[in-house]
Amino acid sequence: MSCHIHPHADNSWKFSTHYNNSSGTIVHCVECHLPPEGHGYLFAKAKHGLKDAYGYYIKDSAKIDWQKKKLLENAITLVYENSCIDCHQNLFPVTLSVNGGNAHLFYVTSKEPLSCINCHLNVGHYDKNAVLHEHDSSFGVIITSDKPPFIESAEVTEFRDFTETIPGTTVSFEMAALPGGTFYMGSPKDEPLRDDDEGPVREVKLSQFWIGKTEVTWDEYMAFFRATSSQGRTEDQVVISKNADAISGATPPWGAPDQGWGKGSRPAITMSWHAANIYCQWLSKVTGKKYRLPTEAEWEYACRAETKTPYFFAGDPRKFTSESFLRKLLGPDTTTIASYIIYNKNSGAMTAEPFMVKVNPFGLKNTSGNVAEFCSDLYSEEYYKTDSLRTNPKGPARGLEHVIRGGSFKSDARDVRSAARDYTRTKEWLVTDPQMPKSIWWYSDCIDVGFRIVCEVDSSLLK
Amino acid sequence: MKNINRRKFIERTALAGISIASAAAVISACKKMPENKELGLPPILRGAPKGKKLRAGLIGAGARGTGAAINFISAGPDLEIIALADVFQDKIDACRERFASFNLPIPEENCFAGFDGYKKLMALPDIDVVLLVTPPQFRPDHFLEAVTTNKHVFMEKPLAVDPVGIRSIITSAKKAEAIGLNVVTGTQRRHQEDYIATYKQVKNGAIGKITSAKAFWNQDHVWFREREPGWNDMEYMIRNWNNFCWLCGDHILDTHVHNIDVINWFIGKYPERAIGYGGRHQRVTGDQYDFFSIDFNYGNGVSSHSMCRQIDSCANATGEIIMGTEGYTNCQNTIWDLKANVKWKFEYPPDENGNQMNQSVIPPYVQEHMHLVYAIRTGNYVNEAEQTALSTLTAIMGRTAAYTGQAISWDEIFKSDMNLGPSKLEFGPVDMVFETPIPGTPVISTVKPLYKGQII
Repeated sequence: MSCHIHPHADNSWKFSTHYNNSSGTIVHCVECHLPPEGHGYLFAKAKHGLKDAYGYYIKDSAKIDWQKKKLLENAITLVYENSCIDCHQNLFPVTLSVNGGNAHLFYVTSKEPLSCINCHLNVGHYDKNAVLHEHDSSFGVIITSDKPPFIESAEVTEFRDFTETIPGTTVSFEMAALPGGTFYMGSPKDEPLRDDDEGPVREVKLSQFWIGKTEVTWDEYMAFFRATSSQGRTEDQVVISKNADAISGATPPWGAPDQGWGKGSRPAITMSWHAANIYCQWLSKVTGKKYRLPTEAEWEYACRAETKTPYFFAGDPRKFTSESFLRKLLGPDTTTIASYIIYNKNSGAMTAEPFMVKVNPFGLKNTSGNVAEFCSDLYSEEYYKTDSLRTNPKGPARGLEHVIRGGSFKSDARDVRSAARDYTRTKEWLVTDPQMPKSIWWYSDCIDVGFRIVCEVDSSLLK
Repeated sequence: MKNINRRKFIERTALAGISIASAAAVISACKKMPENKELGLPPILRGAPKGKKLRAGLIGAGARGTGAAINFISAGPDLEIIALADVFQDKIDACRERFASFNLPIPEENCFAGFDGYKKLMALPDIDVVLLVTPPQFRPDHFLEAVTTNKHVFMEKPLAVDPVGIRSIITSAKKAEAIGLNVVTGTQRRHQEDYIATYKQVKNGAIGKITSAKAFWNQDHVWFREREPGWNDMEYMIRNWNNFCWLCGDHILDTHVHNIDVINWFIGKYPERAIGYGGRHQRVTGDQYDFFSIDFNYGNGVSSHSMCRQIDSCANATGEIIMGTEGYTNCQNTIWDLKANVKWKFEYPPDENGNQMNQSVIPPYVQEHMHLVYAIRTGNYVNEAEQTALSTLTAIMGRTAAYTGQAISWDEIFKSDMNLGPSKLEFGPVDMVFETPIPGTPVISTVKPLYKGQII
């Protein structure tokens, strides 16, 4: 039996452990997608039934973005926790591994809401790319390139674009020289779909700097991982106290940090802000330059590329968004925006390689969209209102989370505007990390944040 | 308690126990049963009930292990020890001899020496129960193996020496619960009739609302062994296990955990935070402290002062005091009002001459095993592993607070990756560098203790 409109879901279900298992038990759609009787069963049945019938008669199944529905935040609205527990009553079977034990112990003692599918996302619908939570110690071990490695980093003698080469690897990347200048940071009150934290607009002056033409790729990040990774756990304080001669890098990740989408020139994701910061320190050490994360002001300056409009191309957020009532009825306009930005309407719920989009006027790709990017600033909602520093601002002195900018492949058009601000959510992004304490290197529950690097202009660099 | 006293005690217990076992086993105090059960308290038994023969294997055949094995067979009818495992052959030999002297021979083919002896023992088809009585470093692995091979378990406190071990114990406890394996732990006081009666009084409001507590285990120095020629690092440390933190957990775990467990039990929760001191100046071997003084903060203004010391010729005593809004108690047998008048006293039974005794008829060491056998034979399920693991973790939190000089929170210690053992258990030189912890330095929060120089 298929549930009306879900032929695709039907196939992946039949490959999953809830159908294709050694015990011969078959768990049917409604046993997961409806709560058990007595837990709001009838109400949920009516709700989903109506929605299903609507979809069956009105929508075209082939046009439904099934991949997107499988993202955790969407799946969680379609599966009932009580239904999982109704069958899986014993969370501590004798065969449970040490890590499984730690994870389930975390689940039963957690004060935060935690769902079974936070970890067991693909048990009902098979996904060939899904990797179970386990320490992936082979991660990054195989070096595939047979090109000769670079011996030296790029020599830079004048302030212009250059190609950095990472010594000892075959990895290179492009840096764009951005002239210093003054720009208007933030969004004016009349910008459609803006948030309050984007204002008031401030006139900000920046010195010249270099910035990566693309987000840091897996190739680049893996060069760092291979050079510095440690098999054991490394305490935060140990890393900080060590000098630049011995940078201790990331521990092996859990599962597949690239989500099975492939590495190469796709942006590196799931590393923590701390890991991105250590990456910059390592890169500085091996190239003899001063790499770091961009400040929030530098990021917006680079993204805007001298534009003052909501996007770095012409267009109205109200027409691009798919969240307003009107757009739900008429459908969003995707023509212009889809050629510049990877966002929820064109991403297929995953990251894209840089060749998929056009550059901004500064020659940069994916500042908006694809993955959100870490900045060095701490986040404060009130920062624009209270800050008085107008030259090379570095963010508030105190805060709990860091700024991320640009939105991601999951974002609506409103959140990929040049002025849109967001911030890291350290606790939420580590919910299912089964380690105690949790990793300082990898986020277990965030798949759409990466970073872009800035290189400072050091007078000693330019002779 | 000095070792010599304990040994004498075990002899006495053995004789008393065996005579009880031969008599008809009776469950007394049947009327009190439901009440105990409601409060999560063990039944008070005069002997384990009859039932199917239970065969036990002993893991850890030293002094306490041999004692526990004798306690087990003393608990009721048809209880046997049929197998032994220990790291050292000489400990096995001594224990076998002891049982042979009771006319209870243990077959040689059921005795297993070495680090993996416990696995071989648990693989024997006839074992129903295992007694886990090694130094606590090994307990988590032994408990996991016991649960994996479907054994009921008696195990001694403390249950582990570090948070990684504690989480392993709790996970295994939940696995045991899921398949109905009974687990009793050697907390003693939780099985003592006098403590249980006092607890009921406090629960009924005899001292009002609890406002503060203190717990103390101050005693003379304990046993230690100096290194003998021919012993490699590992053999030396295990023979002198009571003096190395990675094996023993320090005496705040080894002994003071009894008092800490009572405070947790009476207050009904675990502390949120610990701050404390400790130091070392007279110990000859190992890396542990001579004394600890810890403030355990239970929230809402309730604190327990926990102290333990192992130094000769001092004001030594062990026990607990809990203060309430309407009185206070020693938790063991007496309740006073706020003017120090005795409000209530536990009535110990009379001895053969009609004089009131100052302790229960059945020693708690034996009562624990009666409880285990009772649970197995009557189906009244018991599993004390998690509560004892959490009291052990409380002691670890206190120890860490003293070693580091930092305030340690419950959440932090519960999730800590502190794992004190060496990466490999085998005889030979041990690649661990030892150093007595110095408060204000972060050493202990890292993965391995740092032992420097020759191991003494």
